[in-house]
Amino acid sequence: MTSPSDPDGGLNGEGQAGRYYGRGIPYLPIEGYPGKLIAIEGTDGVGRTIQIQLLREWLEVKGYGVVETGWTRSPLMQPTIEIAKSSNTLNKLTFVLLYATDFADRLEKEIIPALKAGFVVLSDRYIFTALARAGIRGVDRQWLRTVYGFAIAPHLVFYLNVDVKTLIGRVLESRGMDFWESGMDLKLGDDIYDSFRAYQLKLLREYQSMADEFHFRVVDARRPIDRIQDELRRQVAAFLEPTEKPIEPAMTR
Amino acid sequence: MTFSLLHATDFADRLLYKIVPPLKAGMIVLADRYAYTAFARDATRGVDRQWVRELYSFAVRPDLSLYFRVPIDVSVDRLMARRMKLKFYEAGMDLGWSTNPVESFRMFQGKVLDEYDQLVQEFGLEVVDAKGSITEQQRYVRTLVAQHVKTSQVEMTDDEPV
Repeated sequence: MTSPSDPDGGLNGEGQAGRYYGRGIPYLPIEGYPGKLIAIEGTDGVGRTIQIQLLREWLEVKGYGVVETGWTRSPLMQPTIEIAKSSNTLNKLTFVLLYATDFADRLEKEIIPALKAGFVVLSDRYIFTALARAGIRGVDRQWLRTVYGFAIAPHLVFYLNVDVKTLIGRVLESRGMDFWESGMDLKLGDDIYDSFRAYQLKLLREYQSMADEFHFRVVDARRPIDRIQDELRRQVAAFLEPTEKPIEPAMTR
Repeated sequence: MTFSLLHATDFADRLLYKIVPPLKAGMIVLADRYAYTAFARDATRGVDRQWVRELYSFAVRPDLSLYFRVPIDVSVDRLMARRMKLKFYEAGMDLGWSTNPVESFRMFQGKVLDEYDQLVQEFGLEVVDAKGSITEQQRYVRTLVAQHVKTSQVEMTDDEPV
């Protein structure tokens, strides 16, 4: 096994933006690709999708080519993952590996080609979702980081941060709580409300613990949609066009 | 990468449902191919060798691993003799090395065999010469297995050398 200090093994710093976190994919060298990878992370129901939609419109108006990619959206794996979720045969290990396969497919078929062609890739969730979900299910965290060593470190990672109380209100107002988002497989509570609350608390803590490790730019997602979007645009603009606009002094890490 | 990860997923599923329970019950599990197949095949496809080993670090290390070794020519001849249609991925056709399935198979599996040779050392695989007759091979396999099973039993009772 590799140790965290092994530069070839684990995942680390922002200096790696645009490069593989770990051992990478030897047959796909990605050095010098002009595209930019921006990940929007955050738990279920935090409002990632709307933010990405707004960012995309804004970037396209500014003349950038934009490609979106999202968790479990690969044509190869999505049907399989849906079937596996609807049966009771998944365990924590196969869960991790199915997600990793989906991610690998999107990385090879969507993300890397788009980066090569100079697109801005907006990723709705990234590997941190997988690391958080599996981490709280007791999968070895170092092993997870090694497995995801084939992932590319994004140029920017925005973490939409929310407290569990706000989250519960939002989810109930919109589509309601579902089995997996409530972590019902973990048997954390007798009813879906208790389970959702306990599960999401654990998830939020797990995300929080990764903030430094992966250089999350933490965005307060309790605010209105427009305010969040303004902040995202400011930071993205400062990154994409540092010479045209003064760099934001209040840029959060 | 997806090829490698899909097989790992399948392996994890079989490990947890089909391999670990009988082992816990004290039974003998015979596995037709194991993680070593992935090590050899994925490396040939250009996946990082160390990464694949770490990916499979959740696997149980077998008490005995047998590697049936044949030269690539024997392998091709046997498959041709049975007029087997070579499978797309078995022939490594996804790599685009040759449009001729037999030629592609020869190139791909030839490299897979080279990888296996490295694994023999690294993981202490027992090599069975698979050029010989099935009877010969089976005799040898039985000696290996018997030795192995006896070794564990003998150790518990007395110091009789193997």
